[in-house]
Amino acid sequence: MLDGQPVAVSETGDKMLVELYRRYAGDYPKFFKMDTLCRLGFIAAEILINEEMRKCENEKMVNAIILANRSASIKNDKDYLATISDGNYYPSPSLFVYTLPNIVTGEIAIRHHIQGETAFYILDNPEQLEPIVQSTITNDPYGASRSEESPITVLCGWLECSAPNEFYAKLQIIWNN
Amino acid sequence: MIYCIGHSIISPLGEGSQANFDAVQAGRSGLKIYTDRFADVEPFCASLFDTPQSFVPLCIKSVEQAIVHCPLSIVQSSDTIFVLSTTKGDNLDLLTPAQTIASHFGNPNPPVVVSNACTSGVCAQITAQRLLEAGLYKQAVVIGCDIQTRFIVSGFQSFKALSPEPCLPFSPDRKGLNLGEAAATIIYSREPIADNQPPCWTLETGSIHNDANHISAPSRTGEGAYQCLKDVMAGTTPSRIDLIGVHGTATLYNDAMEQIALERAGLQDVPKSMLKPFFGHTMGAAGVLETILCVLMAKNDKMVNVIKMLSGFGGVNAAIRLKIED
Amino acid sequence: MEQLIEQLKAQIIEALNFEDMTPADIDTDAPLFGEGLGLDSIDALELIMLMDREYGIKLADPKAGKAIFASVRTMAEYIQANRTK
Repeated sequence: MLDGQPVAVSETGDKMLVELYRRYAGDYPKFFKMDTLCRLGFIAAEILINEEMRKCENEKMVNAIILANRSASIKNDKDYLATISDGNYYPSPSLFVYTLPNIVTGEIAIRHHIQGETAFYILDNPEQLEPIVQSTITNDPYGASRSEESPITVLCGWLECSAPNEFYAKLQIIWNN
Repeated sequence: MIYCIGHSIISPLGEGSQANFDAVQAGRSGLKIYTDRFADVEPFCASLFDTPQSFVPLCIKSVEQAIVHCPLSIVQSSDTIFVLSTTKGDNLDLLTPAQTIASHFGNPNPPVVVSNACTSGVCAQITAQRLLEAGLYKQAVVIGCDIQTRFIVSGFQSFKALSPEPCLPFSPDRKGLNLGEAAATIIYSREPIADNQPPCWTLETGSIHNDANHISAPSRTGEGAYQCLKDVMAGTTPSRIDLIGVHGTATLYNDAMEQIALERAGLQDVPKSMLKPFFGHTMGAAGVLETILCVLMAKNDKMVNVIKMLSGFGGVNAAIRLKIED
Repeated sequence: MEQLIEQLKAQIIEALNFEDMTPADIDTDAPLFGEGLGLDSIDALELIMLMDREYGIKLADPKAGKAIFASVRTMAEYIQANRTK
């Protein structure tokens, strides 16, 4: 769904993410190195940020990313565990790097050149994220040494991937008026 | 700004912030070579507890030691939020241990877990500052804890990031990092404690920046780290900073990046505190543990202004500036 | 050797998640790092793991990898000479 309107897809599960990638990005081979949580976040952010750039005359640039979920990187943790199973010990560095949930904030930051704040929280439910984001905006990390009048604009939301083909993303862009 | 009204460290070097400080002063290190702690894993150098610890009881003990000089009602209060900094929690579960710890102390609020790789311990303090300054809570119990496991050690070995010997941060002979485990707690409050007990320090400001360069390698220009240092230096000058607690993991690129960031920020001549040769890299605990120790070292030398900086996987960097109260 | 080269290309594609590639797309003598396939530091580590897992070769010093991983051919030659599986 984008701004309340459903987006048509023909696939489900992980294949759906690849389909969305080809439709909305398609120019970023690193996508295929990402685990499911990162692919989910990458696509959701890509769609939202591009839509926001299209709508906003002032090109309100996202300059912070704050995401959260309940299960951290559990799905990829299990994938990594499979590479260090008894009798078959070949730890995979490319899987290990994704055993931290905040990596998705890094992938989005790299893609959109966001050198502001990135953070990931583990919370019981999405409502808990709101006071954290609000207090970040109020605190305004850019207030201390801002040289241009760019308000903090946060890409934030809930990004959950707890099992193969089971994921959920709800992102929004928030700034201080 | 917020005030520290209690703190504690439990590590292989001992229990209590003072005991850990004394050990560091005496030059004692927790680092040892382990050959058969975990199956299949190659020999590695790390600072581990002699008896393997359980995550939740370790955190609970850490909080109990930190609140020793605080009113007991603080942990139970609905004005207090528990913030846990950890990378791998209790066997990959990060949320349940936080909830168990908070409810053990009778705290009614859902806890916040910060999972921002190795910067989590500093980010957790920044999160606590924002929630307190926004008036949402009056106190925060910030806990940092990670326990080393086969999962973590095997992963770092696959990255060829570990040194087979005790690490040498910022040295031209550095060969990589050592892992470590510990639990540390800082209790922050919007007000100094009422009964005229001076706070240990104040947390003045903090900043988090992403390099936007690579998910596991730092920016060669130290971009994110430099931006953090620049932010926390606002309103002061390099000449007024007395001590910097660096990340200093002793990997080839991290230390070089930090040096560049320090030079860009004009902080290259400020004395550095490097604690990983004593504790190893304690991951989620690092930001909390190393902050406490930097402050104790600064107090010992009658210093006033301290910066603590960290970097982590995902391209994230974080820094805080602290002021030592008399 | 040619069979090993083809097998290696397929293994590289799978290990490094080159979704849109087939072995025919990889030039045997093109540089793997830098301009060719543009691999990065994590890819290098994953190739080290591939050599261990598929061919029983343990590379203790990652710096030696630079010469071995110059191209698919140099990698295949090293494997041919050192494989234990």
